[in-house]
Amino acid sequence: MRYSFIKPRKKYLFSMFTKLWLIFISFVVIALNLFNFFIIYKNSDYKNSAKELDANRAVLEKEIEKVNGQIGFILRQKALAEEIYANNIVLKDSIKNLFDLVPDQITLSRVIMKKNSLVIYGTTPTKDTFNFLLAAPLKSIFHKSNTVFYLTKGGWYNFVSTNEVIDNEVLE
Amino acid sequence: MDKSMEKIDILKLLIFLLLFIIVTLFMILVVIVPNIKEYRASKKIYKTAYLHKVRVQNMLNDRKKELKNLRSQNRKIITSFSNKFSTKNFLDYTGTYFTKVALKEVGKKGHKNEFIEYKLRVTSSLKTPTNFYDFLTGLNRYDNIIQADFPITMEANGTKINSDFTIKVYDINSSAIASLNR
Repeated sequence: MRYSFIKPRKKYLFSMFTKLWLIFISFVVIALNLFNFFIIYKNSDYKNSAKELDANRAVLEKEIEKVNGQIGFILRQKALAEEIYANNIVLKDSIKNLFDLVPDQITLSRVIMKKNSLVIYGTTPTKDTFNFLLAAPLKSIFHKSNTVFYLTKGGWYNFVSTNEVIDNEVLE
Repeated sequence: MDKSMEKIDILKLLIFLLLFIIVTLFMILVVIVPNIKEYRASKKIYKTAYLHKVRVQNMLNDRKKELKNLRSQNRKIITSFSNKFSTKNFLDYTGTYFTKVALKEVGKKGHKNEFIEYKLRVTSSLKTPTNFYDFLTGLNRYDNIIQADFPITMEANGTKINSDFTIKVYDINSSAIASLNR
């Protein structure tokens, strides 16, 4: 039995207007959430990258330390080698200067060179020859000079000249 | 038939508009803005870390370049220090200046932690002191780092001169090298 003249219409839980609004709001919420997740992702990406960069930096700093050590070692090798090369040249010049000091009249038979002393054995025709030609320059180089003469059978003199440099530390 | 689109209910429209504004503002102010703030801070930290790393990288490159230059400039010295001292080679070298050369090791000690100093006594015979000068000059070009040292004794022996002197040979302390490469 029918009580209405019209056909029953389908009833919706939400009207079209409501549906459109809800879809629009949901879309905006989803879009904002997606944007938010993007921000969160970028944020964590930056944080991880920063951590990675810090770790890399620490490795590089360690490597710098190692390279600095190697540079220092080369510089120390260079300094030592240059000191040794200079000492060899100084030694050569010292010996050369000593032999250049000796005049033709005086003959050396033995020379003992130590760090702070020089002992010369030799023969001189006269004491004066030795004193003027060799003793004087030796005295200007060394702090202490002492010479002992022995008369030889030929009338020449054998001599032993002991010369010393007093270390600065000792003087102080 | 749904006629909600034809006859828009103003009240409903206002309610939805308000709901939209509230939801959007909530999302922006409560959720997105704090994250953006954090994002900006992270970006700043990242940029600082990046700049710091680039600076350190540049510094490392400079130091490596300096090391390379130093190595090439001091190649002879570095090689001389790393060469093992050979008695035979040294006797061959001294043979060009002296005759009757004899070598005797008299001591070994550390030198400035990183080096080892071997002391050897050299006895030889030479014609003129010039041989000795040439020997000393040539020592600076020798394959090892060697210093001629006191005491030096020279004694006339007929037409020759007998000499007796010390040499110090410097070698690298291998434990020092190991600590450098660690």
